[in-house]
Amino acid sequence: MNCQESLRTQSYLDGELHGAEAEAAERHLESCIDCQALAVQAADLSDALRKSARYRAPESLRLRLAARLDRETARKPARGFWYGAASGSGLTALAAGFALFAMLPPSAATLAQSVADAHARALTSGKTIMVASSNHHTVKPWLAEHAGISPPVTDFADAGFVLTGGRVDDVAGTRAAVSVYRHGNHQLDLFAWPDRGAPLPAPGINRGFRTRFWKSGDMDYAAVSDVDAAAFRKFSQLAQQQRE
Amino acid sequence: MDDRRQRFEAQALPHLDAAYNLARWLSRSPADADDIVQDAMLRAFRAFDGFRGGDAKAWILTIVRNCWRSAGAASKRRGHTSLEDENLAADDDPEGTAIQAGTRRRLDALVAELPEEFREVLILREMEDLSYREIAEVTGTPIGTVMSRLARARALLRETAKDCL
Repeated sequence: MNCQESLRTQSYLDGELHGAEAEAAERHLESCIDCQALAVQAADLSDALRKSARYRAPESLRLRLAARLDRETARKPARGFWYGAASGSGLTALAAGFALFAMLPPSAATLAQSVADAHARALTSGKTIMVASSNHHTVKPWLAEHAGISPPVTDFADAGFVLTGGRVDDVAGTRAAVSVYRHGNHQLDLFAWPDRGAPLPAPGINRGFRTRFWKSGDMDYAAVSDVDAAAFRKFSQLAQQQRE
Repeated sequence: MDDRRQRFEAQALPHLDAAYNLARWLSRSPADADDIVQDAMLRAFRAFDGFRGGDAKAWILTIVRNCWRSAGAASKRRGHTSLEDENLAADDDPEGTAIQAGTRRRLDALVAELPEEFREVLILREMEDLSYREIAEVTGTPIGTVMSRLARARALLRETAKDCL
């Protein structure tokens, strides 16, 4: 490629030239064999590259990013009920989470934030339920298969908490099985995940949702909802008392 | 969800694939690309108040490139990794797929072998459809340099990838 005009031809082929400049480049291209060859090769190369590898952001990255933006948003003082209450450990956990996200057992503040985030995410995305069923014989094996853990699942319809289904979610980097209930117009999520020895948060309110945590057997549990305090206490009691 | 977050999701997140693609081609490693993009999007979110409209894609890609640069030394030590990756954009043409796959993988490997300053202009131009001016902005180089690097990148690939084209 010896033509002195080759850069201008390239600009023309890349659609960078307009008006008189484009016309001049076009006239040159009609008479220059070098530049004609360049044009053909550039088109072939461009075609090949466009058919080639354009990588897409993996779904796991999208989810992690959403969680990090959630935490970032939650750091603002105006929203930080929990961070206000435990700001020291919360910020430390946040810093540690950036570096060692999946390696450390999460702190209590991270856990509280994480289940509230997961609940909020499910509500806003509309993906609250992956398997819809009021039958615990359907929900329990589905969770066992998809979440890899098998917590007890009970329908508390008699007490006003109707089992509506289940989903798999993420709690501070750990896969959790979620049983989903309805109480009037409110949704209650019951999270369960393998106990990693993490300290569990005290009952509280995160992002406007009540959260309550407990350990049972080799699993950690969390109830999350925006129902009133009395109903939430009752639901938590029922969930803690349920057996296989 | 607050207003800033919503604006960010509307303006910046549509460019997540572009950010990942650039990071993936610069780092040549899925794990590094993940780290770079997370870091970049978080920085972008924090700096978002300073972003007043304009070209969000070029802005995001500039931050991705800066993150790659500052992550530089650590990532470069890892060297090349396989380009086989389930995140490659799917081919819509099932019949052609098998025939093309081998050729394409070879072309990918050759692009990955290009020196970084040529590789990045090629990716930005041919895969992300950025104009010369935008590429100049993202890479912090004059437009003239963008043009000559692009020409050089294409010439290098033409030489090495003859049988792939």
